Amino acid sequence: MSSGIQERSDIDQIPVAKRPATSPPPRPQTWVLKLIMAVTGSIFVLFLLFHLAGNLKVYLPDDPQGHFNEYAHWLRSFLSPLLPGSTFLWIFRGCLGAALLLHVYSGVTLWIRAHRLRGRHARKVNPTKHHLTGRTMLWSGLIILAFIIFHLLDLTLGRVVASKDFTGGSTYKLENGEVTVDAYANLVHSFQRPSVAIFYVVVMVVIAFHLSHGIWSITNDFGATAHRTRSVLLILADLIALVIVVGNASIPLAVLGGVITL
Amino acid sequence: MRLILEVWRQEGPDAEGGFETHEILDATPEMSLLELLDRLNHQLVENDQEPVAFESDCREGICGTCGLDVNGVPHGPEDNVPACGQHVRSFQDGQTVRFTPFRARSFPVIRDLIVDRTGLDRIIQAGGTIAVDAGTAPDADTLLVTHDDAERALDFAACIGCGACVSACPNGAAYLFTGAKLAHLALIPHGKEERAKRARSMIAQMQHEFGPCSQIGECVLACPAEIPIVALAVVNRERLRAGFMWGKAN
Repeated sequence: MSSGIQERSDIDQIPVAKRPATSPPPRPQTWVLKLIMAVTGSIFVLFLLFHLAGNLKVYLPDDPQGHFNEYAHWLRSFLSPLLPGSTFLWIFRGCLGAALLLHVYSGVTLWIRAHRLRGRHARKVNPTKHHLTGRTMLWSGLIILAFIIFHLLDLTLGRVVASKDFTGGSTYKLENGEVTVDAYANLVHSFQRPSVAIFYVVVMVVIAFHLSHGIWSITNDFGATAHRTRSVLLILADLIALVIVVGNASIPLAVLGGVITL
Repeated sequence: MRLILEVWRQEGPDAEGGFETHEILDATPEMSLLELLDRLNHQLVENDQEPVAFESDCREGICGTCGLDVNGVPHGPEDNVPACGQHVRSFQDGQTVRFTPFRARSFPVIRDLIVDRTGLDRIIQAGGTIAVDAGTAPDADTLLVTHDDAERALDFAACIGCGACVSACPNGAAYLFTGAKLAHLALIPHGKEERAKRARSMIAQMQHEFGPCSQIGECVLACPAEIPIVALAVVNRERLRAGFMWGKAN
């Protein structure tokens, strides 16, 4: 301002700091994105527990192959004949896919916002648990995203990364005479490759990190302020993460160790 | 005690800025960090140099004026103590101590260690006040508040608005600050009348200038008023509640 018409008063001499670019206000609003993260995250937590229950059928003592494949068949034909064929399966997949898109979109948007607003000076890193898991959510999330693609190619679609013994068609005869996919054989063939088995184990640890902080975040994002609720969920977050990692990671290890065979 | 001070110097908001290194030979363990900076400034003035600009007022931990990062930690190495209450005894003889302004894009540097924290004021202006019942003080016991609510409201009211939570946050979020204000005002009778309206406007203003919360909890370690971590969830709770209130004020 060098118009020179008005003499500046002292107050004008005080330098005014530049404000960050704040308008227009961020859309969608930050709290809405956090809520989307929490809702879709909760869906994934429930899905993972449900998925684990199915996976653990490989440990049934009596004919695990039959039980596992029967379960896989039930999943594919659930609510049939009310909904024809595998309609329910596709609705289920559609919902999970939509939740995944929303979760990734919200997560990345929030990360960009957070990244823009951190200052220029270095911070001292506190080696706390939530620091380790909380600040790596985007990275663990991206690893999990890559894993989801790998997992679908490996055991659902049987493309690119699947084992050479993968069979997609109706190759297994259930006790009731129906023929279905031999999901059990696909699993065993895939995990008999050591590099793949180790990859699954490593990713399960990453998922546990993501879950441990994610469930704690869900608690906060849903606005749980009661002391008891928060204490329980803080423990539950680690407990669920532990159950997921131990339950799932044990399967490729069991296949490698020869406990689970065809 | 001998200390090496690395201090951030920046002429003005648009200046580049950089570190300046000074040596203090006569620091004493009982000096506060602000007194250490006073000592440095004394030395600078004696040598015809420009003193370091930093903020301070009460120097007894109640005003929230002092605010700077020491070795990358808001206020200094001790948890939950403002800079004025932190002492030189936290450091070793001969140690290097680095002073930087509060770290957050929302707190632009005005000069040296002074940052513009008016972003927090704008959150308060958006609704951190009580606009109803502006008459004289009511008679005792006409508005009943339980002892628990009063105590909890006071715990949250302890926030001195120093901005350490924002500087501590890897995301530059002001959730602890906003949550403390919302929780405090939602617990007392006068505050309840505008509870939903306040949540909508304060949170809108907060996300306008500050980052999203990732529940990492760094802010809680820095906060000199020891605002509990539940304040982070209060922000979400109040905003969700306001959503269910469909445009109502309370």
